[in-house]
Amino acid sequence: MTGKFPPLTINRRAALAGLSATGLVGMHSPAFAARQKFVTANNNPYDLLDPHQLFDIGRIAVRLNMYDALTRWVDNPPRLENWLIEKVTISPDGKVYTFVIKQNVKFHDGTVMTSADVVYSMERILALKKGAYGLFKDVIEPGTTKALDPRTVQFTLTKPFAVFMAVLSELWVVNSALVKKNEKNGDWGADWLSKSEAGSGGYALRRYDPAIGFQTARFEGHFAGWGKNPIDDAEFRGVLETATRVLGVMKGEFNTTDGYLPAEQMARMKENPNIKTWEAESIRTFYFIINHWKAPLNDVNMRKALCYAFDYDGFNNKILSGTVVRNNGIIPNPMWGAPKDLQGYTYDLDKAKYHLSQVKNVRPLQIGAMAGYPQSEQAAQMLQAGCAKIGLEVKIVSEPYTTIAPKLNDRERAHDLIPLWRSAYFADPHNWTGFLFNSSNFDAGNASYYKNPRVDELCNKALIITDQDQRRVMYEEVSRILVEDAAGIFINNTKFHGAFTKNVKSIRFCPIGDAQDVRWIEMQG
Amino acid sequence: MRILVLALRRIAWMPPTLLGLIAIVFTISRIIPADPARVIAGENASPAQVEALRQKFGLDLPLMQQFMRYLRDIVNGDLGISLYSQRPVVEDLLGRLAATFELAIAAMCLAIMIGVPLGVVSALHRNRWLDQVIRLATMAGLAMAAFWLAILLQLFFSMTLGVTPVQGRIDGWGPDQITGFYTIDALINGDGETFGKALRYLILPTATLAIPAAATIVRFTRAGVLNALSSNFVFYQTAMGLPRRTIIWKYILRSAFIGTLTQIGLVFGNLLAGAVVIETVFSWPGLGLFAYNSILQSDYNAIMAFTLFTGSVFIVVNLLIDIAQTLLDPRTR
Repeated sequence: MTGKFPPLTINRRAALAGLSATGLVGMHSPAFAARQKFVTANNNPYDLLDPHQLFDIGRIAVRLNMYDALTRWVDNPPRLENWLIEKVTISPDGKVYTFVIKQNVKFHDGTVMTSADVVYSMERILALKKGAYGLFKDVIEPGTTKALDPRTVQFTLTKPFAVFMAVLSELWVVNSALVKKNEKNGDWGADWLSKSEAGSGGYALRRYDPAIGFQTARFEGHFAGWGKNPIDDAEFRGVLETATRVLGVMKGEFNTTDGYLPAEQMARMKENPNIKTWEAESIRTFYFIINHWKAPLNDVNMRKALCYAFDYDGFNNKILSGTVVRNNGIIPNPMWGAPKDLQGYTYDLDKAKYHLSQVKNVRPLQIGAMAGYPQSEQAAQMLQAGCAKIGLEVKIVSEPYTTIAPKLNDRERAHDLIPLWRSAYFADPHNWTGFLFNSSNFDAGNASYYKNPRVDELCNKALIITDQDQRRVMYEEVSRILVEDAAGIFINNTKFHGAFTKNVKSIRFCPIGDAQDVRWIEMQG
Repeated sequence: MRILVLALRRIAWMPPTLLGLIAIVFTISRIIPADPARVIAGENASPAQVEALRQKFGLDLPLMQQFMRYLRDIVNGDLGISLYSQRPVVEDLLGRLAATFELAIAAMCLAIMIGVPLGVVSALHRNRWLDQVIRLATMAGLAMAAFWLAILLQLFFSMTLGVTPVQGRIDGWGPDQITGFYTIDALINGDGETFGKALRYLILPTATLAIPAAATIVRFTRAGVLNALSSNFVFYQTAMGLPRRTIIWKYILRSAFIGTLTQIGLVFGNLLAGAVVIETVFSWPGLGLFAYNSILQSDYNAIMAFTLFTGSVFIVVNLLIDIAQTLLDPRTR
């Protein structure tokens, strides 16, 4: 599916004109002048294109734009749409899901999508054990997904799983015939699909260079149709240096960049007349993981002392200049399941001192801050300063994420405290509660090693029931317990601050995707 | 004959040198507390999922066994699979080679074009105001952090004057690949417009890399010229009435350039190392950016391949410099 631009041809006169461009005169290629082109500068490299090996928000543009899934998240607060699904039937025990997929969904090579493609995609995820595998591994056994007819696919779960429809947004359907044709030594086409595509999404791959990024062209035959002024060509470039991305947008080399820039960079963008900014509360909470496994952090008084020693207002409103919103619990404010009346901790050194005085065997603590993420390091310093005022020694160790990540699921090697974000992979309270605080998830998501039988019970029950109102009550109770137990230091919910060049007319922001879904973007001029 | 012996001797030293290099980098990359299997698996992965990946990539084996396995693969011409992209590392490496070489060679040429004449001028005006200005400039060039210099150049030339792009290697994608050097490929394709664009994109990263390199060359050329100026052959040629220009550019420079040439070999190595920073700032899709990403992702095979490759290039460049030096200096034959 990879291709190339037609080579630019040029005559002698034009060549001479081009040579004069070495005198720093800007020129434009006439070849695609009439086409609307949208360029994104991403803070992550696009070193891989396989939708079943990727599972991060940083490179979600690959999945959102070149592939379709059975369900899709849109808008803010996120709403789950039946994307490829025409009809869904769920068995009374909540274990069998039968879907009829829409008619005439076509892959980029013109092949019609069938249920066999959906089955192959699920089996591929389960076999590769990468990407979204963690979402399905506990509920779907390999070989149990069936194609009942060309348009009907049936999933049989090992147990009821209330968020199944929500996580299906990560089951990106690949063109099975095309991938199979490129399989080597039973690799499920992993080598080939790492640099090609086999999707049906709104944009088809045109060129890919792992060192640069990828370029796509609009797929006219997309089943969902198109709006009035869709983007014709979308280019996604990996630009690691923040200052370069910011300057690039200011100069118009890019149309946008990532939406979570440092406050001072965002301020620069806002002052630029060529840029318009877009602000929206996201669902990405920032908090300190507290390692309950290590004494004295298993003592609730120790944890409360830490919660009271953090200057929330100073951090959110002064250091981050109000670019975030105070979030008292772990579930982001806009999500259902987040209690509206939840009382969080405040910066209160007297209370912090009191709780600290109740703790036996106090020892110096260590914070593992994420190097290269200023907010993580600044939060660590803020807590360190607060702790110093109550006589608690705190040491900060800055490490890259690659060093922090393995420790997250190793209770002995883990730092005492780690300031980091919990992004939304699917918009369900389970993403922030059951996943992060259910003790059955020790070493695989519950990096706090927090255990509370009531929280476990509620989280497990909430995964079986499908009624959202009943689930809401359960997650609200979980939220309150987590605050009462001081399970973590819950600080803020992130705001998305998108910066776009002035000619971008409209976007449709969804926190799952961070406005990287190009099909909704319109430009003028 | 003498040159052939020298070359063979140097080539014979290559394998043990590279072995030492591999051993050091291999050990360092394995003892840092990073876990690539965990990073690849993602934050939602189970321990079993991580363990499966660890076994798949042989990361569960004892360190010595991993090292021997790696050496065996290298001997068979296999640098391994990228833990992250799942592609052969050689493929990723070769895809970025031309970008870095184009940048490094451009920077080297610029550094020589600036450094050598300035070094000569500085020496000829020893301790006068021109010499002082050049020496001050070279000190600044050496002292300024490449990262800082890059941002300053971006702000001034791209943002204030608006004459150069902020980043990248070209607008969109490059010309049809023949050599991988955009400037050369554009010329071969007869595509003047792309050639002009490619040059514009080269300006800032080249200048950032070339400035410290030029400063080094100025200092060594100056020292070499000063040394030659006080030698007997210059005294004799002056007494013989040879024109000053001939003495300087034909005899003094040739003598002074021998020392500078050695430095150029070392400077080229620095350029490759410096590319890691410069390519990151300018989003230049070369080996430096590849190394930076690989380090961030703890992609062991990619880090090792980059080290092995740059080490080999460094050795080869210095071999060529030694040969050139032998040709230039009859005393070494």
